[in-house]
Amino acid sequence: MLNLINTSFDNCIKCTVCTTRCPVAEANPDYPGPKQAGPDGERLRIKNPELYDEALKHCTNCKRCEVACPSGVHVGTVIQLAKAKHGGFRKGPREFILSHTDLMGSLSSPAAPVVNTVTRLKPVKKLLDKTLGIDERRTLPRYTGQTFRSWFNKQAADQAGFKRKISFFHGCFTNYNDPTVGKNLVAVLNAMNIGVDLLKKEKCCGVPLIANGFFDKARKNAELNMSQFSRSLASTECVIATEPSCTMTLRDEYPEVLDVDNTDIKDRIFFASAFIAREFARGNKPEMKPVKLRVAYHSPCHLIKAGGIIHTMELLNSIPGLEVIMLDQKCCGMSGTYGFKKENYNTSQNIGQGIFNQIEALGVDYVVTDCESCKMQVEMNTGHKVLHPLTLLAQSLT
Amino acid sequence: MKYNTIIIGGGLAGLTSAIGCAGAGLKTALISAGDSALTFASGSIDVLGIRPDNSLIQYPFEEISHLPSGHPYQKLGAEKLRQSLNFFTGHLAQAGIEMISHGQQNHNRLTALGAVRPTWLSQTGTTPLSITAPAAGLRRVAIINLAGFRDFQPALVAAGMKKHPEFAGVEFTIADIKAETLNMNARNAYELRSLEMARVLKRDLFSQPKGMTIFASAIQKAAGNADLVLLPSALAVENGNELISELEQLTGLRICELATLPPSLPGMRMASALKKRFRELGGLLLEGDEVISGHFDGDKLLSVKTRLNPNMPLEANHFVLAAGSFFSRGLESSHTRLTDKTFNLDVVETGHREQWSSERFLNGSQHGFNYFGVETNDHLNPYQNGNTIDNLYCAGAVLGGFNPVAEASAGGIAIGTGWFAASQIVEKESGK
Repeated sequence: MLNLINTSFDNCIKCTVCTTRCPVAEANPDYPGPKQAGPDGERLRIKNPELYDEALKHCTNCKRCEVACPSGVHVGTVIQLAKAKHGGFRKGPREFILSHTDLMGSLSSPAAPVVNTVTRLKPVKKLLDKTLGIDERRTLPRYTGQTFRSWFNKQAADQAGFKRKISFFHGCFTNYNDPTVGKNLVAVLNAMNIGVDLLKKEKCCGVPLIANGFFDKARKNAELNMSQFSRSLASTECVIATEPSCTMTLRDEYPEVLDVDNTDIKDRIFFASAFIAREFARGNKPEMKPVKLRVAYHSPCHLIKAGGIIHTMELLNSIPGLEVIMLDQKCCGMSGTYGFKKENYNTSQNIGQGIFNQIEALGVDYVVTDCESCKMQVEMNTGHKVLHPLTLLAQSLT
Repeated sequence: MKYNTIIIGGGLAGLTSAIGCAGAGLKTALISAGDSALTFASGSIDVLGIRPDNSLIQYPFEEISHLPSGHPYQKLGAEKLRQSLNFFTGHLAQAGIEMISHGQQNHNRLTALGAVRPTWLSQTGTTPLSITAPAAGLRRVAIINLAGFRDFQPALVAAGMKKHPEFAGVEFTIADIKAETLNMNARNAYELRSLEMARVLKRDLFSQPKGMTIFASAIQKAAGNADLVLLPSALAVENGNELISELEQLTGLRICELATLPPSLPGMRMASALKKRFRELGGLLLEGDEVISGHFDGDKLLSVKTRLNPNMPLEANHFVLAAGSFFSRGLESSHTRLTDKTFNLDVVETGHREQWSSERFLNGSQHGFNYFGVETNDHLNPYQNGNTIDNLYCAGAVLGGFNPVAEASAGGIAIGTGWFAASQIVEKESGK
C-alpha cells in the first residue's frame, strides 16, 4: 500500500510552504507541521520506526498541505498512512463512537426524540466529557426521527417516472441527522427533469473512519460502496454526493489512502454542485425566482482539495437576487470528529477564530457552506444559521 | 461555465493580471497549482538592476531601450512598465502594504547572506540603502538574532557585508537575544523556522501587555549605539512592517528586517495581501488545482481542463498563462526538449543540450536555461506551431528572452507583463 507514496514524497524540496498553510501548526505550535510530520518524518521512519513522532496525532487531515504544495506531494496522505502504520491512532470507545457514524445513526435515529433531549442535558454532556473525552462545550448533532431513506421510499415511485436518472450517495448525516439537503437535492434535480435513485445499500464513505484509524473498516465500506456504484451505474448516469468530504473520499481517497481501485467509475462520481453547474452550462436550468438575501460563503477544506469551490460559486451566483460574499478560504477548525475531542477543543476553536470574526463583522443574513461539519462549528460559534447551497437553490425554484 | 478571463498561475504575474481583470469588473478565476515562488521571495521588487557586464544600474527605466530585442521589457516599453508598477503599488497599499522607492533610482537592499542587491521597491520594514554608496552614514551596524534562530546567521551576514569595499570602515556588532528574555516557551526551539518563530513570539511575547517593551529594551541593549540594526524577518507575517516601525519608535534605532531562508515572511505577506485584494475585487481563487491541457480552435484557446475535474472544462474569452518557470513547474525540460508543459507552445531557441548550462554552475557565469521560456509577439500572445494564439497571453517567468537572475528583473517582468496582459484583455472586453 505504501509503494506509491514512498516514491512521491521524495518530490518534497523542503520549501516549508505546507507548514505555512497548516491551520493546526498555526493554532498549536506543539504540532511540528506537515513538512516535518510528513516527508521529513517519513525518511526517518523508514530507517527506524521508533522515530515516529507522537505529535502526528494533532493532524486533522484537512489536506491544506496538499493544496499548498508546489511540488505535488501528497503530504496529508503520507501523515495519515504513517499514523496507521505506526500505531499513531488512539482507538478507544470514543473514537469508535465518533467514527462509526452509520452504526450510531441506525441506533440513535429510531429513538431520536429521546436521544436529542438526553444529549442536550448538562449532566449527560459532563458525563460524556469525563468518561469518554467528548468535550462538554460542544453541541452534539441531533438525530432525525425519519431517516432520509424512509422519506425517499415514499417518493421512489415519482422518481421512476424521469427519463434521466442519477444515483444519490446521501451519506450518514443526511440520512440519520438532517435529511434537508437530500430533500433539496431531489427538488432541484426534479425541477431539471432528472430523477433520483438511491443505492440499494450504502455504508459510511469512510472519512471519519480514516480520521480515527479504522482503516480496515473503511476499506470494507469502500468495497461495498464500490460494488453498489458499479451496479447502480448500469441504470443511472452518475453518482452524486452532497457532502464534500464524502465526495473527496469516494473519488480520491479510495485509491490513494485505502488502496481500493475506482478507475472505472471515478469520472462518474460528482459533487452535487459540479453536476448541477455542468447541467446549467448546457442549458438545463430550472426557472428561478429571486432570493433576496446577503450571505457569506465558507469554503470547506475538502471541497477546496477536490477542486469544487468553482462549481458551488457558480450555482450561488446563478441565483437571482442573492448577494454572495466569499470569506477567506480558511479552515473552520472542526474537521469532523476532531473538534469533538476534549484535547483538541482549544486548537479547534483557535483555528476557526478568524472565520468567526469575519462572519460577525459582515453582518450577513446567513452563512452558506457545503459541509455539515463546518456548519456545526459556525453555528456554535457565531449567531448565524448556516445553509447548504442546495437549500438556497431549492428556495429559488418557482 | 464561462469566465471573461482565466488566469493560470498564482504568483506575482498571475495575481497582478488577476487583480487587473477583476478590478475592471471582469468575471475572473485564478487557478494556482500550489503556492508560488513569492513564499521564497525577498518581498522587494527588482525591476532591472544589473547590466550584462555586471555593473549596477542606477536608473532602470532609462536602461530599457538598451536591452536586446525579444526581451519582454522591449515589448512593454518604459512607460507601460512604470504604469504597471504604479498600479501594483496602489493595489498593494489598498491591501495594507506600503512600498517605498528611491525617486527615479534603484536602491540597494541587504540579503541574509550579507550581499548587497539592487532593487526598485521595498517594504517599509526594510531599510533602503543608496545604490551608489550603500554604506553612506553607517559607522556601526548591529546584527541581532533571536533565540539562536538557525536560518539567520549574524556572523555570515557580517562576513558577507565586509566583502563589499563600501563597508570596509564599518564596525559590526553581533548578538543573540535569548529565548528566556523573549519569554519564548517552545517545544524544540532550535527547530523553529521563521514563520514558527513569528507564531511563538506572537503567543508568548507580543500578546503580553509589556511584550513590545521587553523586546525593544532587549534590542537596545544588544545594539548599543548602532546606526543600523539588522534583524531576521521572523517577527510577524501580516503586520510585520508596522511592528518594525513601532520598534523603531520605542528604541530610537533604525531597524531593518532581512528575509531569511524559506519561508520568507515579507514574501508571504505580499502574497496574502495580493490574494486578499483579488478576493475583495470579486475574483475567484482556485488553489490546489492545475491546468493540464487546453482545447484550441485555430488561433483561439476555447477551454482548459484541470487535473481535479478533467470532465468539467472551464471556458473563457481570454486566458493568461503565468505558470512560472522550472521551479514552479511552468516550464519543463527533458534531455532533448523544453516545453511549457500546459499547452505545447513554441519556446525560444534552446540550442544544443550541452550549452543549456555553463560547466561551472556557481561561478557567476550566465546559464542558457535562464533565458528559456515561451516565445510571444509584442502583445504577449504565444505561438503554437507558428500560429499566434490571440486570446492567450503569457506573463512572468514562463516567458523567454530574459535572465531574471543576472539582470535582477524578475519582479518587474512579472508585474509589467501581468499588468500588460490584463490591460489588453480589459480593453478588448470593454470594446465589445
